[in-house]
Amino acid sequence: MKFAHLSDCHIGGWREPKLRDANTKSFRMAIEKCLNEKVDFILISGDLFNTAVPGIDSLRMAVEQLKKVKDTGIPVYYIAGSHDFSPSGKTMLDVLEHAGLAVNVARGEETYDNKIKLHFTVDKKTGAKITGMLGKKGSLETSYYYQLAKEHLESEPGFKIFMFHSALAELKPKELEEMDAMALSLMPAGFDYYAGGHVHVVDKQTIGRYKNIVYPGPIFPNNFSEVEKLKHGSFVIVDNGNVQHIPLPVHPAVCISIDAEQKTPTEVESLVKQQLLKNDLTNAIVAIRVHGCLRQGRPADVRWNDLFHDAYAKKAYFVMKNSNAFTSKEMEVIMVKEANVEEVEISLLQQHAGQFKLSANDVELAKRLMQSLSAEKADGERNVDFESRLHSELDNLLG
Amino acid sequence: MLGNPATKLNGFRARISDMTKGLIIGGEFGNILVRQKTAQALELGELMIADTTNGQMLLQVFDLLYGSQLTQQHLELISGLKLEEDEKLELMDAKLRTYVLARLKNLAFISQNAAASAKTLPTFFTKVREIVAADVSFITTPLHPLFLGRLRSGSKVLEVPVSIDGRKALSHHILIAGTTGRGKSVLMTNLLWDLLNKDFAAMLVLDPHDEYYERLQKHPDAREQAVYYTPHNPPPGGRTLKIHIGQLTPRHFDGAVSWSDAQKQALHAYYNSYKDSWIEAVIREHNLKQQFHEGTLAVVKRTLMQLLGLDVEEENVLCRGIFDINAGQTTIPDIVNSLEQGKTVIIDTSSFHGNVEVLVGSMIAHMVLERHKTYSLQEMRSKPVVSIVLEEAPRVLGKDVLERGPNVFSTIAREGRKFNVGLLAITQLPSLIPREVLANINTKIILGIELKPERQAIIESAAQDLSSDERMIASLDKGEAIVTSNFLSFAMPIKIMHEEHKAAVKPRQSFDGLRMDVTE
Repeated sequence: MKFAHLSDCHIGGWREPKLRDANTKSFRMAIEKCLNEKVDFILISGDLFNTAVPGIDSLRMAVEQLKKVKDTGIPVYYIAGSHDFSPSGKTMLDVLEHAGLAVNVARGEETYDNKIKLHFTVDKKTGAKITGMLGKKGSLETSYYYQLAKEHLESEPGFKIFMFHSALAELKPKELEEMDAMALSLMPAGFDYYAGGHVHVVDKQTIGRYKNIVYPGPIFPNNFSEVEKLKHGSFVIVDNGNVQHIPLPVHPAVCISIDAEQKTPTEVESLVKQQLLKNDLTNAIVAIRVHGCLRQGRPADVRWNDLFHDAYAKKAYFVMKNSNAFTSKEMEVIMVKEANVEEVEISLLQQHAGQFKLSANDVELAKRLMQSLSAEKADGERNVDFESRLHSELDNLLG
Repeated sequence: MLGNPATKLNGFRARISDMTKGLIIGGEFGNILVRQKTAQALELGELMIADTTNGQMLLQVFDLLYGSQLTQQHLELISGLKLEEDEKLELMDAKLRTYVLARLKNLAFISQNAAASAKTLPTFFTKVREIVAADVSFITTPLHPLFLGRLRSGSKVLEVPVSIDGRKALSHHILIAGTTGRGKSVLMTNLLWDLLNKDFAAMLVLDPHDEYYERLQKHPDAREQAVYYTPHNPPPGGRTLKIHIGQLTPRHFDGAVSWSDAQKQALHAYYNSYKDSWIEAVIREHNLKQQFHEGTLAVVKRTLMQLLGLDVEEENVLCRGIFDINAGQTTIPDIVNSLEQGKTVIIDTSSFHGNVEVLVGSMIAHMVLERHKTYSLQEMRSKPVVSIVLEEAPRVLGKDVLERGPNVFSTIAREGRKFNVGLLAITQLPSLIPREVLANINTKIILGIELKPERQAIIESAAQDLSSDERMIASLDKGEAIVTSNFLSFAMPIKIMHEEHKAAVKPRQSFDGLRMDVTE
């Protein structure tokens, strides 16, 4: 038995068109590899799309790829994730399933005592028994797990796969300390493979009766920090029990970190320049992080345009910077102006959440609302369609 | 229409006149002699009221003895006659001839619905009567109530709930002392149950008997508010206790392992050179700039491997216990975050060797204390007080342990109150805890203690004068306790009830987003 395990594709996720394209390329590359490897089936552990109702371009690309997979006779099994889940069922995943392009395995029935009894979806070719639980915003799926009837799942014979889209407390990486996570004990034990998603890390662990708990990592890094940490996307191919992480290096990542402590803007500039010169930037995503407090001058004095120009002159694919922790003693306000827009938004939301004692979920909701509202009309999309798409997306978000 | 207050008071006085149990006939301050009215049995520990013109004197029986109008010679003669001749023989009026005397101590003076220390004596021949709930209406529920039990007068229980200010009491440490079987676990369960959904306090329980989580599971807020860690096969919702070895630092071992100076230096040298991977560096015998004796490094390596349950097999580090090289990277911060949110964290330490339990407790306590030290006063007020429950407390706070050097728990005992971090120490042997530590514990809940030295240790360090209470403490039955605290107006006798903890009825869960199949 040979199968692929993808997760967190976040198609349509990046605002910058170039990075959105890179994300798309990465997804295509993953599908291409799955076809080349002749896998028996493909698992997608949540967040195929970045929203429940993705833009036309994203949808077209996903359908195109899934159709190619279907035509080759490879079934795709999926669960909804925290981004593409919809309580009302108005999600594009549903459309894909109805079109026969993928099968949602998070299905079951409610028992008389208010438990959820999940059903297995049996892969015809291999006989693998697949089931799973969707992911929801703010880890709200945890309450479903508490109501999960586990006995029949655990006693079912055969090769079993459990798909999930949740962070697990026991396996949470250090840098995601603040992330909500649930206890591993809420999942049914004794499966042969736990196909995880939601946490953007590359990991494979076994804890007690839970073996092969695998997070394949996102198909493409989802933010600045992930570009730094992961460099590229990845997925997993499991060949007769052998778990192999497959990298998806659509663009090389060049990550530059500059310590600006006690330096001048000119010195910072020259340090960045040196790094840009030293590295091969051809087709690369260049991530420049500057941190520390300047001796004199302001972060705004750094001539970023020139630096970006230099990088693009060296054929960089995309250049981005993070100056979140780049400050000067005199003008701290400038730092906020200079930082990446999304990060400023998040930081402001978090500050206000502290003041008004909002829950973490509200911050997440606000982030998602802002993201949805900043969506632009797609090529060829009618005003009325765009409006209705926006309405439906907001309906979904506001539940 | 409201009645005339004076008439009401007179009515009340008339009602209570038949509650007279005795008359003050002498003694001194703190040792008032009362003659018991015939047919009114006074009990050790019973609370009495002496009504005075300005208010009421709250008294408590601490000793009982016989009194008689007859000389010892006459008493012996009468007893002889009764035994050998006629049992019905009486000399003088039986009610007047012999009686019971009681010694009472002053607990408080109640005036205008407030209690203050007693500074005067009631007049001679003042009647003393049984206490009623209305007498102690000054016992009110504080702002941050921690329910301890109901007020007790001897063996009688009054419908007066006794709560203490939980924020103050928990940050200034609590000791629960009592012999096995006297109700320590019931009390602890009640306290945890009461605090589970209160946001002013967070509890960290190192549970060597693995008893509390199961009891708390019926609580309606257990799922959200109780976090449970156990090394093996956790129940649904419980977490597998795994701690990444990168989270350990050398000082976490204080109190868990007695290192020699050279060994300590070696630990620090490894930590400074290899930071998060220092334990692996010790085990894999990586090089150090500083030179250490081969034997020292071998002992350090062996001790760490044994304590942490690590092994090396063909270059691979195998983890046999709770310490892991992959999993559990956020366990300690997760626990501390839960505590910061006012949750109760219970760690099943039943399968641990004592020093592993201390090590885990030490890691958490260090992080809690460090985080609290960074808070401003305002932040501190908005955060819950964190209380660390230590069963069999002398294991970490014992004289012999602290002689080997301080640990994080003795630090918390000394200065935790400043940072809103407190200890809740449970023991049957309080005498093993040094006096200065006991003195720092401002609230003591004393259950029955049979051993005299243990009673003495408690009495000597109590917030109120318990010097005459030794007999009372010895006679405390299961569930009966005396609470002495800086945050109570007097040492309160309480009854700890086995509270009825019924399972909550949960609302039906809906399963939005799940594909519902037609029943198979």
